[in-house]
Amino acid sequence: MTSHGSSGPNEPHDIDPFTVTDDVALVARMRASYDSLPSPDAAQIARCTTAVLSEAMHAPARRLGGSRRPRWWWGAAAAAALVVSVSTVAIRRGRTTAEMPGGVQPVGATTERGDTTRFDLTLPSTAREVALVGDFNGWDERATPMVRRPNDGAWSAAVPLPPGRHMYAFVVDGKKWLVDPLAPQVLDKGYGPANAVVVDGP
Amino acid sequence: MTDAELVLRTRAGDPDAFGTLVSRYYDACWRFAYHMLGERADAEDVLQDSFLRAYLAIDRYDERDQFRGWLFRILTNQCRNALTSRGRRTRRFVQDEIALESAPAPPLGLATGVEDAALVHALGLLDPLQREALLLKYAEGLEYGEMSAMTGAGESALKMRVKRGSERLRALIGRSLD
Repeated sequence: MTSHGSSGPNEPHDIDPFTVTDDVALVARMRASYDSLPSPDAAQIARCTTAVLSEAMHAPARRLGGSRRPRWWWGAAAAAALVVSVSTVAIRRGRTTAEMPGGVQPVGATTERGDTTRFDLTLPSTAREVALVGDFNGWDERATPMVRRPNDGAWSAAVPLPPGRHMYAFVVDGKKWLVDPLAPQVLDKGYGPANAVVVDGP
Repeated sequence: MTDAELVLRTRAGDPDAFGTLVSRYYDACWRFAYHMLGERADAEDVLQDSFLRAYLAIDRYDERDQFRGWLFRILTNQCRNALTSRGRRTRRFVQDEIALESAPAPPLGLATGVEDAALVHALGLLDPLQREALLLKYAEGLEYGEMSAMTGAGESALKMRVKRGSERLRALIGRSLD
C-alpha cells in the first residue's frame, strides 16, 4: 500500500473523536446516488472477467503494470478458433501457413526442429525491425527480435517452446502489431485475434 | 458458495470461480469507483485493473479477512493511482464553484437509473482523500476502524477528512439538501 498512509492537506491528528458525527442528509444523498446509478450490464462484467483472465495469462506477475499489449485489436474481426498441431518427428516438416499471394500481404510460417520452433514472416513492405511476441515471452516487444534473412528477405526467429498451445503475434517497427491473416488464429479475448501454435509433446 | 470456497477454487485454477467473484462484487466496486472518479470509462478501467491485481495476488489473500474488504483495499489504491495519473494529464473537473453553486438544484427524489450528477460533480471538487473517506463512511457504511485497516490512515485523520469533506460538500450542494 504505497500511499495509503499518506495524509491529506493540513490534517491535524488530534481531533476529538466525539465531535465528529455523521451528516445524516449527506449520508442519505450519497446512498441515494449509489442506488440510482445504473447497474453495469452483464456484458461489461463479462468483459472485465475475460480481460482479467486473458491478461493474467499473458503478464508475468512481476511485470504487472509494465508493458501491455495495445488494445486497438479489440473489436477486430473475430478469427476462427483454429489451432495448428505441429508434427512431432525429430525433424519436423515445415508448415507454411499460406502461399505468397503476390506479395500483397504478410505470410508467416512455423517450423519445429527438435525443441525449437522457428517463426518466419514475409512482409510486403519494408520494415526496419520486426519482433516476435507471445505468451512465451510476456508479449515483450524487446525480448525476441527477428532477424532478416539476406537470401529471401523474410524475418525469422527461433525460440524453444515447451509442449502446449502458444499464442503469438508480430510487432513491426516497434508499434504495429500484426497477426498473420492466413495463419491459424484464436480469439484472444482481452484484445482480439492472435495466432496460435500447438507444440505437441514427444 | 462462499467467497472463501471461490477463492480456493480460483487458486486451484478454476477460472469460473473467479468469474463468480467478479460477478458478485463488480456492482459494489462499480458504484464506489464511479463516485470516486466521476467517469464511467475510468471506473471500468480501474475495476479491470483492480480485479486483475486481485487475481494475481489471490494466493496472498488471508481467508480470515472479508474478501470484500480485501478487494476494496485494492480498489481504493487503484482509484488513487488513476487520479494521480489523471492529474498529470489534465484536470477533469472544472474548479468553478460559482458556476456549480448557481446551477439549478437537482429535483428531489432521484429517478431510478439516473445518477445524481450534481453530487458526483461536487464530489469531484473535493480533495481525493476527503472524497474517499466520505464514500467509505457515508455510502459504504464502514466504521472508522475498518476504514483505517483498509486505507492505512489513522482514525483521527479519517475523521478529520470526513468532517472537512462533509463541510465542503455541504457548502457545494447544501441548498438542495435541506
